[in-house]
Amino acid sequence: MKASKARLVSVDGVDASAVIAAARRAIDRPGRGGVSHWDASGIFQDLCVADAAAGAPSARTLLLLYAADLAFRLRWEIRPALAAGRTVVAAPYVDTAIAFGRAAGVPVGWLTNLFRFAPPAAERRFVTAMRGAASANGFVELASQRVHGGDRGARRRLIGGAAAHLRAEARRRARRSKR
Amino acid sequence: MRPSAAALGVARRSARAHFTDPTKKRGLLVAFEGPDGSGKTTQRKLFKTWLKSEGYDVVTTKWNSSDLIKPIIRSRKAVRALSPEEFSLLHGADFRHRVEQIILPALWDGKLVIADRFLFTGLARDVARGLDLDWVLKLYQPLLWPDLVFYFAVSPITSGKRVTATRMPNFYEAGQDVTDVEDPVESYQRFIARVIREYESLALIFNMITVDAEQSIGDQHRQIRELFLEGQRRPWSAWNTDAVAEWLAGRGAAR
Repeated sequence: MKASKARLVSVDGVDASAVIAAARRAIDRPGRGGVSHWDASGIFQDLCVADAAAGAPSARTLLLLYAADLAFRLRWEIRPALAAGRTVVAAPYVDTAIAFGRAAGVPVGWLTNLFRFAPPAAERRFVTAMRGAASANGFVELASQRVHGGDRGARRRLIGGAAAHLRAEARRRARRSKR
Repeated sequence: MRPSAAALGVARRSARAHFTDPTKKRGLLVAFEGPDGSGKTTQRKLFKTWLKSEGYDVVTTKWNSSDLIKPIIRSRKAVRALSPEEFSLLHGADFRHRVEQIILPALWDGKLVIADRFLFTGLARDVARGLDLDWVLKLYQPLLWPDLVFYFAVSPITSGKRVTATRMPNFYEAGQDVTDVEDPVESYQRFIARVIREYESLALIFNMITVDAEQSIGDQHRQIRELFLEGQRRPWSAWNTDAVAEWLAGRGAAR
């Protein structure tokens, strides 16, 4: 029997295009792994066509939707690939959503409980560099836009806050792995 | 943007002052809970008509009805694409959006909100689908407790008879996603027995007012009126401070 190479790697960051580039690099051997992107379920795509009269969703509502999308990704992409012995790079995974939630003032306990169903990644990577503005196709950017609408200053502060939380988490991880 | 601790503190004080001001007519939240076929929608309509005749300003909100999330859930239910976790999380999102957009603004304006199903529906159905009660309950935080919860109690047999008398239960209503039973009627019967078991536990834990929904419609309605007249004088629940404060702070941040 062949030894299983199944491995879940998470790549989290605010800048979506940098996260995707890092995710591709994280696959050790092409053909033996794949990338699971956010919104594979199309929930956020559907959300974008909703009438503005439906009201702006709060950070908590958006996080519940992100978690629903992640449950979909785990069921259809991540778990089947792991079961087949492949490397799966989840980009983004849980840390990006938690960083967004913390920047928006959502309690850590609630965030931790929300993602309790998601298995921990064997390896966690962080993309902390920001190439100017965050990409419009990233979760943090889209969620900030939905929460704050036309208020660009508030949007930028929320994105900056999420990036700061991710940097702090990356530093914590790095310190822990040195010990 | 993150509401500061100071802003949250101000919002908490403002929430308490607003809902305990004796000079103001305070908003009331009344929830109708129970399994399908328990007749709660009929009772909710009769109750609303009566309240309006008594001069109350009434707002109704139904389960899974937000303009933002309902279309997302509907399209996924149509293709039977939801796992228990996805089902739970999407209904939690729908509920959260209605709390923020419909329920809290109406309560703040001193209106009476009737909720045709509340978070207990999510708890009963999700736990009947095998999810952990603690995980599901926390999804609904910060919790907003109704002033009164009427639980319409029926047996699984009565629920099954009433639902299947006029139509075939749909895939998720029948719990076919978790029972693996092909016949929707048989699946419904098994699933609703689990849901009712969960509801009965929740009714005890959360001190709901149980209405015997096997009685006549008129008797139930009279009982609800009496219980409401007694219950509406209850003081505002301080447990709701966090939910109101977060909403107020969020409104401030989003402006």
